[in-house]
Amino acid sequence: MNAKTYVGQSVPKLDAREKATGQAIYAADLNLPGMLYGKIVRCRDFAHAKVLKLDLSEAAQVPGVVKVLGPKDVTQKRYNSGVLDLMVSEGLGEVLGDIEDQHIFTDYVRHQGDAICGIIAESEEIAEIAAQKVKVFYEALPVYLTAEDSSRPDAIQFDERKPGNRAFQLPEQMFPGNAYGWGDVDAEMAKADMVFEETFTLPKVKQCQMETHSYVAMYDQTGRLNCWTSTQMPKCVQPKLARLFDLPISRVNLVSTTIGGGFGVRLGMICEPETCAMAMAVPGRPVKVQLTREEDWLASESRHPGKYWIKLGVKMDGTPVALDARFMASTGAYFTHASGVPFTTGSWLTGMYKYGAVRYKGEAYFTNQAPSGAFRGYGNPQTNFALEQIVDRACNALNIDPVEWRKKWHKGTGDDGWCIGVPFSSCALDECLDRGAKAIGWNEKRAKYANQTGVKRRGVGVSVMNHTSGAMPMLLEHTTCTVKMNEDGSVVLMISCSDMGQGSHTVLKQIAADALGMPMDEIHILNNMDASGFDIGSHASRTTYVGGGAVIKACEDVKRQLIERASIRLGVDKEDLEFKERQVVARSDASKKLSVKEICHSGVYNFTNPANGETNGVPGQIQGYASHFPSHNSPPFGACFAEVEVDTETGEVKVLELVIAHDIGRAINPMAVEGQLEGGAHQALGMILTEETCYNDAGLCRNNSFTDYKMLGPVDMPRITTILVEQPDPIAPMGIKSVGEAGPVNPVGATANAISHALGIMFTEAPITPERVLKALNQ
Amino acid sequence: MKTKMITLCVNGKDHRFEVPVNRTLLQALRDDLKLTETKYGCGTGECGGCTVLMDGKDSVCSCLTLAVEAEGRHITTVGGMTHEGELHPIQIAFIEEGAVQCGYCTPGMIMKTASILANNPNPTEEEIRKGLDGNICRCTGYEKIVQAVRRASVMMDTAQTRKVGGMRA
Repeated sequence: MNAKTYVGQSVPKLDAREKATGQAIYAADLNLPGMLYGKIVRCRDFAHAKVLKLDLSEAAQVPGVVKVLGPKDVTQKRYNSGVLDLMVSEGLGEVLGDIEDQHIFTDYVRHQGDAICGIIAESEEIAEIAAQKVKVFYEALPVYLTAEDSSRPDAIQFDERKPGNRAFQLPEQMFPGNAYGWGDVDAEMAKADMVFEETFTLPKVKQCQMETHSYVAMYDQTGRLNCWTSTQMPKCVQPKLARLFDLPISRVNLVSTTIGGGFGVRLGMICEPETCAMAMAVPGRPVKVQLTREEDWLASESRHPGKYWIKLGVKMDGTPVALDARFMASTGAYFTHASGVPFTTGSWLTGMYKYGAVRYKGEAYFTNQAPSGAFRGYGNPQTNFALEQIVDRACNALNIDPVEWRKKWHKGTGDDGWCIGVPFSSCALDECLDRGAKAIGWNEKRAKYANQTGVKRRGVGVSVMNHTSGAMPMLLEHTTCTVKMNEDGSVVLMISCSDMGQGSHTVLKQIAADALGMPMDEIHILNNMDASGFDIGSHASRTTYVGGGAVIKACEDVKRQLIERASIRLGVDKEDLEFKERQVVARSDASKKLSVKEICHSGVYNFTNPANGETNGVPGQIQGYASHFPSHNSPPFGACFAEVEVDTETGEVKVLELVIAHDIGRAINPMAVEGQLEGGAHQALGMILTEETCYNDAGLCRNNSFTDYKMLGPVDMPRITTILVEQPDPIAPMGIKSVGEAGPVNPVGATANAISHALGIMFTEAPITPERVLKALNQ
Repeated sequence: MKTKMITLCVNGKDHRFEVPVNRTLLQALRDDLKLTETKYGCGTGECGGCTVLMDGKDSVCSCLTLAVEAEGRHITTVGGMTHEGELHPIQIAFIEEGAVQCGYCTPGMIMKTASILANNPNPTEEEIRKGLDGNICRCTGYEKIVQAVRRASVMMDTAQTRKVGGMRA
């Protein structure tokens, strides 16, 4: 097979067959010999309380109960279920102020669903019966559900290290005034002809991955802690568990099971600590923990809700002289991503437009809600909702076309990137805007839908975005890859990047197959956390960009070794040798050649001469290796156009069409890229139209089910047109840029702007429910 | 809990075992028969992840069906869709159209599709979307799933493929 035959092709996902036949193994599908069942007993009735007394005696006596564990029966070490503390340098970590504030089982309840104790039993049913018999006596404490509430001076302090319940603000040492940006915002704002100011309210949106969190753990007879989990970050969870249970990493065997959806919720640990603690209590026996959907909702993280204040000053010609913004996020009960998300949220704002001056403040406060954490987009959907709407408000007031304004003022190649100081390496946003506008019929519809008066009113809206490919320079950015050449020339590709369903393993294999000029079906991808090396996980839209870069480098290392060996065996200069159809051939004399198989075979099957003890030729199995630290993050841009119809009698918003144009650089697998944009659109439309986790005054969740928390169904989803704009990035491996995290961003702003176009009303609170539409229409 | 001896016919094979009368069909499949291809997503009939086919035609949420109720019915799970190692056209369409991402909803989606097409071999796009409503996918935005159902209907129409649903001889 010729080289370069897989990249650019819509190869079906490698694991699609096993998933479509039901043979893929998710953690809950595991049935190990002697397996026990663990049940985490959670506080259901309070969002903020002290445990005065915990009585486990009755539960322990239920026949079939093996062990009950209270807070004192497990390690007293605290942890942070997020992983940012692992991925920043020590100095930066100290400045950012990440803290370890979670216990495996707690006697201080900070949100409904906090874990109180664990029950290990012979069956799930028995564990559940015993859980009902646990008696907990609580002292209720005042409940704080917003940053405004918890930051009041008389509020109870959640953690002595964080006065005022402020978990995070941009550190003064790094950013004087606790803000980043450029220019003198106050001076520039004073020069504006018009100023637009608004406070937007962001909802607490749930990832709603279809597989509820499930685990099996076993502390085996060799003293190893084994944990089967569908985490997105196996190589970060492994050291986290090692630290928590005082074990060397080599004694923590982390087994990645098929991931039934991630979207950020599996970034770091969730119930691995509880499950492993239970397993440590019953050495030699596996313990399975499977969360119910309700538990999953209460116990795992969500997107950060909060207030996003924004102020934009413009000249009459549209020049954005200054932008001032502040995001006050709620981190919920624990620290988790309190530094990461509020820090990054502003990056997407500073990365977007050429303001004369800009200032962003990001903060996070503790509240008595379930912890907030990572959710695909990492602050970008929040910024998109606020920024894109305030820009449209200015455009409308100035009578400037929103597409033209964006084309004029967006940042591009060479401009300071989303991380100030790291310039954008390429930008295809103009082409995204042009092709998207044409596909939706922007000019015609924009004019046609102006000033409607009927019951059903239509509108079109636009939004743009920028994002990152990889975690550099915010976090450690590192992936290793080993390419082991078998003696028949087939390959084992060892890499720790997870495939969350987006198809990253397929894509990495496509890249490897082309790099080595061989068929994909002779490559096996091995995702074994003992065998494969370090990687920071599947997040930050990094797997193709960084993982792909590591694969290419490791394959280059293989080719270098093959050429070196061929050079010795053929007696030809290395410079004269080239790769051709799985052979190493001399350019000067095509008869001088060796197949890859031959080189690999003779390296392995190499017999020592008993007479002189010497090997024959060039011995040794070939393994290519790369420890890849990318030097950049090749940010992608994107444009989205939405057309909506609003029923002014019922308040219902129907999205009729979405056109999503994405600056992909180069699509390794176009079908997979489309899938990321279409699936991301589902999450974005949910955030803007229907999705929000709600709490009552006592802090108890009102909608922890798919009936009460409404996601859009197949009937509600619009027609989606995806446009992949391929202008290869000059510095990226193969010109590629990311797509995964971009998915749920742009349709947020585009839909909000389309609704505003239809009704002439800007909505500052998401989701834009029928109730809110009717309320606004009646005002 | 009172128990009952039942015979469950799953993918054309009879299984005789004792179950508590409150055991759901989903638990019986996953825990008693170790047929884990049918997934738990919510346990309350809201997500469709546990969808199985009954008597080759009706889709049911196995989490809302008691095992004792399923006695005497032919139950098909996604594990029963392949025939002698050959994929069913619905499975082929899901794989090739990119309708499978994380795959957790896929077994239920495929069984729901089998039911849609058993009742209406040539559905319109609107009928497909209405038919799939109740089965949640968080990865695809449904776009490629709808395409896959459409393609499966064409493939099955042209191939005059065998019926599904444990009805094979």
